[in-house]
Amino acid sequence: MSTAALHADSHHDHHEHKESFISKYVFSMDHKMISKQFLITGIVMGIIGMTMSLIFRLQLAWPDEQFGFMETLLGKWAVDGKLDPNFYMGLVTIHGTIMVFYVLTAGLSGTFSNLLIPLQVGARDMASPFMNMLSYWFFLASSITLLSSVFIETGPASGGWTVYPPLSALEKAMPGSGLGMTLWLSAIALFIISSLLGGINYISTVLNMRTKGMSMNRMPLTIWAFFFTAILGLLSFPVLLGAALFLIFDRSFGTSFYLSDIYLEGVGALENIGGSPVLYQHLFWFLGHPEVYIILMPALGITSEVISTNARKPIFGYTAMVISLMGISFLSFIVWGHHMFITGMNPFLGSVFMILTLIIAVPSAVKAFNYLTTLWKGNLRFTPAMLFSIGLVSFFISGGLTGIYLGNAALDIQLHDSYFVVAHFHLVMGSAAIFGMLAGIYHWFPKMYGRMMNNTLGYFHFWITFITAYLVFFPMHFMGLAGVPRRYYQFTLLEDFNVWMDVNKLITVSAIVGGAAQLLFIYNFFYSIFKGKKATANPWQANSLEWSTPVERIHGNWPGEIPTVYRGPYEYSRPDREEDFFPQYVPDDSAPEVLHTEEHQVAPEEKSPEEVESSVFFAAIKRVFGLS
Amino acid sequence: MRIDTLRIRLNSIFKKSLAVLSFVLAPMMLLAADVIEPPKEFSIANFDWITILSVLLALLIILVIARAFDIGALTEKITGKTVVSWNNINAWVAIIFLVAGLFGVWYELKVHGPLLMLGNSASLHGDTYDSMFYWTFGFTFFVFVVTEVLLFYFMFRYRYNENRKALYYFHNNKLEIIWTIVPSIVLTFLVLRGFTTWSKITTEIPKESQEIEVFAYQFGWKARYAGEDGSLGNQNFNFISGSNPLGVAEAGQVDELVKELEGEISKLEAFKASADDSILAWKGRYDRFVATGLSRTYPEDFKTLKTKFNDGVSGAYVRTLEKDIKRKRTALNRIAEYKKDDGFFDGTANDDRVTTEIVLVKNKPYIFKFRARDVIHSAYMPDFRVQMNCVPGMPTQFAFTPTMTTTEARSIKNKPEYDYYLFCNKICGAAHYNMKIKVTVVENEAEYNTWLASQAPLVAPKVAEQTPAAETEGIETEATDNTVAMN
Ligand code: HEM
Ligand SMILES: [Cu+2]
Ligand SMILES: [Cu+2]
Repeated sequence: MSTAALHADSHHDHHEHKESFISKYVFSMDHKMISKQFLITGIVMGIIGMTMSLIFRLQLAWPDEQFGFMETLLGKWAVDGKLDPNFYMGLVTIHGTIMVFYVLTAGLSGTFSNLLIPLQVGARDMASPFMNMLSYWFFLASSITLLSSVFIETGPASGGWTVYPPLSALEKAMPGSGLGMTLWLSAIALFIISSLLGGINYISTVLNMRTKGMSMNRMPLTIWAFFFTAILGLLSFPVLLGAALFLIFDRSFGTSFYLSDIYLEGVGALENIGGSPVLYQHLFWFLGHPEVYIILMPALGITSEVISTNARKPIFGYTAMVISLMGISFLSFIVWGHHMFITGMNPFLGSVFMILTLIIAVPSAVKAFNYLTTLWKGNLRFTPAMLFSIGLVSFFISGGLTGIYLGNAALDIQLHDSYFVVAHFHLVMGSAAIFGMLAGIYHWFPKMYGRMMNNTLGYFHFWITFITAYLVFFPMHFMGLAGVPRRYYQFTLLEDFNVWMDVNKLITVSAIVGGAAQLLFIYNFFYSIFKGKKATANPWQANSLEWSTPVERIHGNWPGEIPTVYRGPYEYSRPDREEDFFPQYVPDDSAPEVLHTEEHQVAPEEKSPEEVESSVFFAAIKRVFGLS
Repeated sequence: MRIDTLRIRLNSIFKKSLAVLSFVLAPMMLLAADVIEPPKEFSIANFDWITILSVLLALLIILVIARAFDIGALTEKITGKTVVSWNNINAWVAIIFLVAGLFGVWYELKVHGPLLMLGNSASLHGDTYDSMFYWTFGFTFFVFVVTEVLLFYFMFRYRYNENRKALYYFHNNKLEIIWTIVPSIVLTFLVLRGFTTWSKITTEIPKESQEIEVFAYQFGWKARYAGEDGSLGNQNFNFISGSNPLGVAEAGQVDELVKELEGEISKLEAFKASADDSILAWKGRYDRFVATGLSRTYPEDFKTLKTKFNDGVSGAYVRTLEKDIKRKRTALNRIAEYKKDDGFFDGTANDDRVTTEIVLVKNKPYIFKFRARDVIHSAYMPDFRVQMNCVPGMPTQFAFTPTMTTTEARSIKNKPEYDYYLFCNKICGAAHYNMKIKVTVVENEAEYNTWLASQAPLVAPKVAEQTPAAETEGIETEATDNTVAMN
């Protein structure tokens, strides 16, 4: 701890110098500024990704219509206002890539890990501010590379965000597999570098730079979530890099890691044969499955924090929450095969993956129950952040339950690659994580910009988004169950698909209304940056450490010494206190000192056996990690 | 103070107008009406500007209202009287959402549920599948309703009240153990059932199953049936040619391919030999274009010429030729390897039928062998609860027994035109959405035999060449022989 403190102090001194515009706003090494850079880039990417989805939704709802504006916008990709099938695929692919990696990995994790880790564990900055800065710039470079691929002659990568070879490996298979795919791969490689630089930083900051008294078991659940997320990323992204590298070799250097027995456009002979397309899928999903938890866990962490604060109630089952995060993280590495039940892999392997996958439902269920119990007998303040968090819980339940169908190898025979899958992942990963991100933005806006966002607009934003999200994604379950495949440019293949025409229109109109509601958010966000009501230091009367920093958001975070932490972060509504919150950094002046030697000890008379047990458990966890 | 009273009044008006706020929902309600009623044509004329404008207008109104509420908040501060309690409004909206949401779920189940054809699958394992589905649906739907109801009920019940303090409640191990154990038990049950269902579907394959090869390519399907000899001939992707799209090991076709490849190679060799002359010629034309100013009159032609010329000079032209030659040589060598193996071209392929439709007999077990030649496709037959990826270089299979003829399906669905299809369910390129093959299930073997006889074998039988009239006859007898042999 002492080196960290030293480092932090020297950092602190440095903030006295006058900073130039460039070092303050552009090449900033302050974690708060970097987090804002991630956030704004994420929001911009989010808008782009969303607009793309609206464009291809129009195609799905009105396949015969000619949209004049599309030709204006897209030129040769929408001749006569009708979207080109290749470009449709390109849009779907880039939409998926943007949403998964750029918005919900970098935009969510990058923003809030950067903002909250130092603030909530009590550090002056990240372990390596320079690496942190690099992380952002790699991310930006990656974003630009990806977006540039939309504007090239042959169009962007269009084999789906999973870019399975041989489709993505053979230039002749589709136009998007040419330069567009090369750019996609470069963008992802840059992205992985960015993500690794960030992840290493997050992990080392959490492990090494906690302030006095901030033992691991006093960390807010946000930090636990970011911590596990970073570990997942660190272990799984390199595998994707490897997979991408092999793909680059196959595309450009004549290797055949993923290729075999291919005949395309009158050309029968690859130089080398004997690779396996399925190998790519194994490698991809070894990242791909942890990736969905990389997306979801930060959102869950944010939700824990926001729900506890606004329910004015301790989060229920802190230990269980940490253990389930741990369980989910571990299990997420050994379930990737559930994306591959029908690739023709050995049926026995399918059974194994099915069992492991359904086990993951248990920790997830525990989390959902714990959220519900936290709300029970709470005193709920519906700030926009709170509403979005509750919305997340709702999506997490609805979307999580359909995972039980998809994890079942037998049921997956029918459901794989159908609209059921689209419904499932948009609810549990898409909507839930986006809601977590929005909750985080509304909640920590005062810490980022020193101002408040407008609540009323927030309420409208929430309800419209919440309702339309369900209207968009819920009916898709039924389409999928009836056998409507995803990634279809239009549903003209079978007579039977016509039944879904109205549903498709409903979905598209809801998506447009939902998209329009995001304008409220954008307006609210940017207006409040400059003109919002001035915030106080602790506007939500929350407990965690970040609320002890001054409104001015100085480099180094705290003007004087870093506060000491005296208790866990969820001491809300203690019966022995007048106020309904008890910040971590406020020394206890009334209760006898002894009580603070053990965690989660609280109202003097009320030391239940369970609580003793929990501290014993934490001691055990600490020992496992070798930390204190 | 008078201004303040005015503001308060204004605000109460706004508060009442909240009811009117359902205008946000109005477009959606209209649409819902559109869904409930038989669809009117949703014309773009209504959609384009009017929709966009009204959405913008709605946003503007929301902005104004939000501002008004801010003023309200200010007056609240000044007068100390609560005008609008957003906390209560949100709690109520939550309850309304819950009720409306449950209604929506019920509506979906009622209207779209029957489209899933659960309990009416067209295959033997389909029933096992459906029962697995029902079990899963039962559990998840129960949990879904209970937890969502609790969630929104808690939102309402425990909304903020100044005079109340939340329960200081950290954890309850007993409760937590219960809700870890109970889902575990339920999931164990589902896993065990899933395991048996999955194993049954994937591994219990009747010995007498008939093999059919289903072949996927960009963008279509072909099926291959064994002919009279009852066995599918060999195949290899190196044999694929324009006339032999599946690469079946049929000696005549393959010899032709070899000849074709050799011809192409010598042509390419010739190009390569005269490369210097060609480049010189291009240079000449290039210079002429520049000198005469034609380059400006025909910029496109000039551009092509320039690329050609540049490629020639940089050596790219020759390299491409060499690469092409090498690739064709590789193909030839590979074919030669197979040619050495006498057993490979054993003639079993000669009577195979390559068809553009799949015909199956009711209650007869089949095993589909899937192949693809370019990218991954997926053979999807939702009516039969069948799906399997078709992977280039990795043969896959799916065994099943159809139990409902096309005619029966038509009468159950009440659609006289209904047909089963196998279609592609793995993204495979621009026309992925347009890749199907008809599957017909017939009542009995005889119907099937008639159909098979109408399909031409890869190599026409010798007899057929002499007397065209005898052709059908000959095949028919052979076909019946074959059935006898198989039974
Ligand atoms: C504006 C709201 C959104 C709408 C209307 C929407 C709609 C769609 C649709 C219709 C598809 C195509 C499905 C298919 O044909 O396979 C799709 C694909 C996808 N979406 Fe979204 N989406 C939205 C937001 C999101 C979010 C927030 C995420 C974040 C996870 C996301 C992730 C994906 C992914 C990963 C794909 C798959 C792309 C692929 O098939 O390669 N979407 N989306
Ligand atoms: Cu997964
Ligand atoms: Cu296909």
